[in-house]
This record gives sequence, C-alpha cells and structure tokens, in this order.
Amino acid sequence: MTTLKLTNLSKRFGGVVASEDVNIKVPTGEIIGLIGPNGAGKTTIVNMITGMLPVSGGTIHVGDIDITHAAAHEICRAGLARTFQNIRLLNDASVLDNVLIGLHRHEKSSTLSALLGLPTSGRETRALKVRAMALLAAFDLTKFAEYPAGGLSYGHQRKVEMARAVATDPDFILLDEPIAGMNDVESDALAEIFRDFARNGKGVLLIEHNVRFVAKLCSYVYVLDGGKLISEGTPENVLKDPAVITAYLGAEYA
Amino acid sequence: MLAQQLLNGLVVSGVYALFSLGFTLVFGIQRILNLAHGAVFMTGAMVAYYTVDGGGPLWLAFILAVIVSGCLSVLVEITCFRRLRKTGDEEFGGVVSSIGAGLVITTIAQQVSNTQILRFPFETFPVVIFRFWDLRVSMLQLFMAGAALLMVMILGYLFYKTAFGRRVRAVTDNEHAATLMGINPNRVYSQTYFIAGALAGAAGVLVGLAFNSISFVMGEPYMMFGFAIIILGGLGSIPGALLASVIFGMVQTLTIAYLPSGLTDTIIFASLFLILLFRPHGLLGQEDAGNLGSRR
Amino acid sequence: MSNFIAGYIPLFDLYCLHVGLALSQFIVLRAGVFSLATAAFAGIGAYTAGIMAVNFGMHPALGVLCGTLTGMGVAIVLSIPLARLRGVYQAIATVAFIQICLSLNIYSEGLTGGAMGLNNIPKTVGTGTLFVFAALASYLIWAIEKGRLGRAFNTIRQDEAVAASLGISIRRHQMLAFAISGALAGLFGGLEAYHSYAIDPRQFGFHLLITVLSYVIFGGRNSVIGPLVGVAFLIILPELARPLAENRMVIYGIMLILVINYMPKGVADTAIDAIKARRLKARGGADI
Repeated sequence: MTTLKLTNLSKRFGGVVASEDVNIKVPTGEIIGLIGPNGAGKTTIVNMITGMLPVSGGTIHVGDIDITHAAAHEICRAGLARTFQNIRLLNDASVLDNVLIGLHRHEKSSTLSALLGLPTSGRETRALKVRAMALLAAFDLTKFAEYPAGGLSYGHQRKVEMARAVATDPDFILLDEPIAGMNDVESDALAEIFRDFARNGKGVLLIEHNVRFVAKLCSYVYVLDGGKLISEGTPENVLKDPAVITAYLGAEYA
Repeated sequence: MLAQQLLNGLVVSGVYALFSLGFTLVFGIQRILNLAHGAVFMTGAMVAYYTVDGGGPLWLAFILAVIVSGCLSVLVEITCFRRLRKTGDEEFGGVVSSIGAGLVITTIAQQVSNTQILRFPFETFPVVIFRFWDLRVSMLQLFMAGAALLMVMILGYLFYKTAFGRRVRAVTDNEHAATLMGINPNRVYSQTYFIAGALAGAAGVLVGLAFNSISFVMGEPYMMFGFAIIILGGLGSIPGALLASVIFGMVQTLTIAYLPSGLTDTIIFASLFLILLFRPHGLLGQEDAGNLGSRR
Repeated sequence: MSNFIAGYIPLFDLYCLHVGLALSQFIVLRAGVFSLATAAFAGIGAYTAGIMAVNFGMHPALGVLCGTLTGMGVAIVLSIPLARLRGVYQAIATVAFIQICLSLNIYSEGLTGGAMGLNNIPKTVGTGTLFVFAALASYLIWAIEKGRLGRAFNTIRQDEAVAASLGISIRRHQMLAFAISGALAGLFGGLEAYHSYAIDPRQFGFHLLITVLSYVIFGGRNSVIGPLVGVAFLIILPELARPLAENRMVIYGIMLILVINYMPKGVADTAIDAIKARRLKARGGADI
C-alpha cells in the first residue's frame, strides 16, 4: 500500500496565486475525487503532478519517490499514469499500436539491438504485442485492434485511452475529466472500469465536474476553489458543507 | 567615416523593412513561413526592369512592379496555402509549398531573363548627389528612404486606423470567431498577401535601382536576411520587424565597412543561431514562441 | 546489352547515394524534429573524408568512417540547442546552420579549397560499395521503424505530451534521431567524396536541401518505402524526357506544391494506407 501525496502544493505565476497549500492523499486501492468550479485550479494541479508545470512550493510524492521536480517523462517511471481531458490518441495509428506505446516503459532491449533489429528486439516486440492484445481483450476492444484509433466512437476511444494508461502498469492513475460529454449509461460503464482499477490495487485520483458521478464513485473527496482546498471528506459530508455550496451555487443557497 | 556608414545603414534598413514587413505579416496572420517571398521581391525588380527596358517611365515601372508583385503573392496564397488551412498543416506544409512556389517563380524568371544579369539603363534614376556636413547622400538614397518610410506609414495607418486593419487583427487573433462576426477570412488573407507582396516588390525595385544588378537569384540573400530580421524582431510582430530592420541594416553596413569580407555572412547567421538559442521569440515577439507548444 | 546497363550505372550510383540522404532526412522528420540540416551534415562528412584522403593519405574505409563520425558528432552537438525549439524555429535554425557551414567552408580556403572545392580525391568507391551501404542504411531504418525506437519517435512526433506521459524522454529520443541522421548523412557524404574526384561547397547547399526534402515529401514520411520510392521517382523522371530534365527545378517545385496539398502523406504512404483500409473493409467492418 503506497500513497500519492501532495503536500502544501503551491503555484504562483508572478503575482497570481493559482494554487496554495494544497494537501491531497491518494492511497492505493481507493478512488479519490477532486472537484471544484471552473477556474478553481484543478488543471494547474494536474499539470504540476504530471511534470508539465514547475512547482512553486510544496512537494509531490509517489510512495517514497519525490516527483516534485521530476521531468514529465519521469513521472510514468515513478508509477503514475494519466488520461487526458480531450482524449489524446494517435489517430492515424491502429488501436493496437496505441496500446503498444503504453508498454514502452517495460521495454528492456538495448538501444543497439533496437537500432540493428537484432533478434532480442524482435522477440520483445512480439511479446509486447501479445500483452497489448491481452489488454485489448480485457477492455473488450479486440475486434478494433487493426483499426485506426481516430475512427472509433468517443466511448471506445476513451476505453483505448484507459487501456493505454493501464499498459504502463501504474500504481496510480490520474483521470482528468474522463466522462466529459457522456450520458449516464456510458459513464456508468466507465465507472465499473474505474472500480476495477481500485480493486486491482491502484490508487485513482478522479478529477471531475460531474458531482453526482464523483459522489457515487469516490470514497473521499477534495474540493478546490480559487486555488485552495475549501473542503474535504466523504461525499455526503462534502456535499452538505456550506462552503462547497457557496462555491458552486452562491452564498444565498448555503 | 562612421556617420556616413550610419547614414548608408539607415537607407538599407528602409529596404529591409519593406521586405521583412511582408514576411512577418504573413507569418503573424497564418503562421506560414512564406519562402517564396524572396522570389516575389525579385519579380518586382524584374517587372520594373522590363518596363523601363520597353521604354516606360520609371514611375510606371514602380507602380507596375508593386501591383504585379502583390498579385503574384496572392496567386501563391491561393494555389499553395489555401488548401493547407483546411488540413491544419500550415507550419510544415507551408514551408514545403512555398519552397516549391519559389522554385517555380525563380526558374521562370531564369528563362525569361536568359540567366543574364540585368541592368537599368544609365540615368534611369537621375544621379544627383547632395552634400552636407561632410556627408554625401544621393537622390536615390533619399528616394529609397522616403519611399520606405511612406509605405511603412501607410501600412501603419491601414493596420491600426482602418476597418480593414481591424479585420486583419481579428482574423489573426481567432479566425473562427472572426468568421462568426461576418468577416470573410479568405478575402482578408488575400488582401494581406497582396500588401506583403507589394511591399516586397517595392523593395525589389529599390534594390534593383540601388545596386543596378537584377538577376533571378537576387532574392536568395534577402530571404536569409529576412529570416534573421524577423526572428530578431519576433515572428509576427510588425513593430519588431521594423526595429530589427534598423538594427540589422546598421550592423550589416558597419560590419561590411569595417570587417574583412566573407565574415559578414557567417556573423549574421551565427547571430541568428544564437538568437534562436537564447531568445527565439526575438525582441518583441510572443513569449512561448519557440518552445513546447500545444500539439494538435 | 552490357552497354545498355552500363549507361544506367551512374543513375544507379546516384540512387544509392541519395537514398542514404533521403533516409537521413526521413528519420529526423519521423521523430518530430523539423530539421533540414541533412545537406550540411553530408557536406561535413564529404569534406572530412576528402580532406583525410587528400591531405593525410588516409585509407578510404577510415576516411568514410571519419566522415560518418564527424557528421554524427556535429549533429549531436547541434541537437542540444535545437532541443528547445519547435516547428519553423527548428527549420530556420537548421537552414541558418547550412548557411553557416557554407560560409565557413568558403572562408576556410586553406583547408577546404574554398569556392573552388576540393580536388583530386581518389575514386575508390564504386557501384558495389554504394549498393551495399544503401541496402544497409535501408535495413537500419526499417529495423528502427519496427522496434521500440520507431514507436517512440512516432509518438513524439504526433503528440509530445502523450509521449512524455508514457515515459518517453523526448530530449533523448530526438538527440538520437539527430545522431542517426547526422551519421547517415556524413556516411553518404563521405561516399560521395570518394566517388566523384572532386567536391565543392555549392553541392551541399540549398539545392541539395530542396532535393532531399522533395524525395521524402514525394515518397512519404511514414514508412521506409517512402524515401526509397521518392528517390527512384525523382531521379528517373528527368531521364524520361529531355524537356523534363531541362526543367527539373520547376518540376520539383510544382511537385512539392501539388503533393503537400493534395497527397500530403506522399505517394507511397497514401498507397499503403489505401491498401490497409481495403484489407480491413474486406475483413468485414467492425461495428465501431
């Protein structure tokens, strides 16, 4: 059991404070939610965790590994995978190829053998393809393996993205607004997949706008507004918190 | 003598400004690096030459050059770039396409001119020298500086004080939104390309008159200088291009005057390289210009 | 009969040499690096090899090796500043680099012979050698494409953020792509030097840049077949008819415009994609 820990995380752009003293803990095996109105700073947090934005203050730890100042490509190695708000798949590549790249982290053959096409490299590629197909099967995507990913329906593309994230074999998955634009049936299907992640021992940080979805799925919720955490707790408690209601709806409803 | 070189440099800056403004304008509005710009510049010079050669007066040659260059620029836009906007591949595709256009234009010019170096007949522009304070200025230099200044002022007026200018700035900011407000982006682009080409053509005529050596390859060194200038000024920035033209014109004139020849080019390109290394957005360009931008 | 074939040998030599250069251009574009510096690396390789032979009497095999290593070394050094740039900025920087190399070459007359070029290079490389190297280079690029490097390059080119999120180091991979590109260009530059008695700076300037770019644009930037097809087509085309040869540059220019606008993937890749799509359809469409 390890924890993804954000400790007093802060971000300043010159004089503007985008995030201030954010403390979040995501244990493996749990689904933790992060919600907040638009402009609350959720994207800033995501970008800091994934190494896309330099951190102004505080730390980020994946278990014992300090990834506060790690470069973007080192985050994956530390065991943290992410999905994107606007599903960034390689549209021209096949579904299988998209998942195959997810396995990149596990490729061990030397650069030299990759350059020269030595048998070890070829063997490894074949083994990876088998793993990728297995992943596709787990997500019920086998029949799409050879199709260009860009041609799939939105729901299926989401699943390919999930499969790719899982391929990196992460301890933690950061889901950035994964059900945007989906109806309840589609989002329920994804919810099952997320519960599976947790059941398989991964820690899930779910960033979402859809408060109902978060309430159904998460065991603990953090609420962000104006860059600061204004509330945290179980979904029932958080939704009743006057500070949260004020942030979303205005003071008159608190 | 230093003051004289500075004066010469200023005149040269004017011509560079005319050339670079069009170059940076097109990049600013469409993020396309139009490598055919040098060929358009050369076309202006050739049109002027052939007009004069055919017996026409210089003022007619100038006007024709400007108009033909403008139209040529629009033609390039329509045939080479318009389709790319739909696929969204302007950055790479624009470079490739414009290389092709430049190639076609210069080769045609080569055939037309029979690979000769063309020279204006003597006294096409009256040779009059003024002297004051130890400096000599020719009427041609005055004309060049004056023409450049006038055109830059007209451009400034067009861009910042007219409805047309507002339309251009709207489309530059956000093409889709501008369309929603009833602006026809195709027309705006064509007009912008016309202006860019016209300025380049004017620069071509001036250079042709000044050095009296017009050939189908004359655009190439200017393209290189153009790169350096617009990078220095910041890709897409008009004030930047102006400022950079002055700096560049001065520096080039001074290094040619005071340093061994052959080194000038190396210095220029090494400087360009260094600028790209440390400050790719130049003096007045947007901050995140050269870096890991958002990929489509 | 043998005369007939003999007449085509120079063409075949040219093909082999330019396949190497096209592959050098191909691999950088593959990795998302907008570099046009292949011509410069080729020049560096050619001059290194040539100078080694003429001034030091070095054995051609060693000379070619020197050319390759110099090309690779310079490319690696160049990749460091270029790592911060993207898109047109990289392109401009590499074009400036070509110009710098050209200017320095002409300026250093003592070493390179300046504008007159380097002469009296022993012709020690023949058609057989060229073919072997061209085949090896093609194999190298094909092997890269099939393996994890090719997959990494591909991902970086299409979406850097995704690549980073999957643990792919963009800097390291782009430097590698540059190194391979520089090595290939340096290698084939060296081979060119030992193949043609004399080299001059203009050979490695903008004409070569445009030619090499054309091969890859025309043939395709996605699969190895692209450069192979591109070089073949653009070399053979001018040979088909006199007027085509005389107007070579106009034809290249028109071709660049047409291909990038109407068949941006290039001839070979468009065909490959069409075949793949038809195969999928024949298999019976999946309900997507």
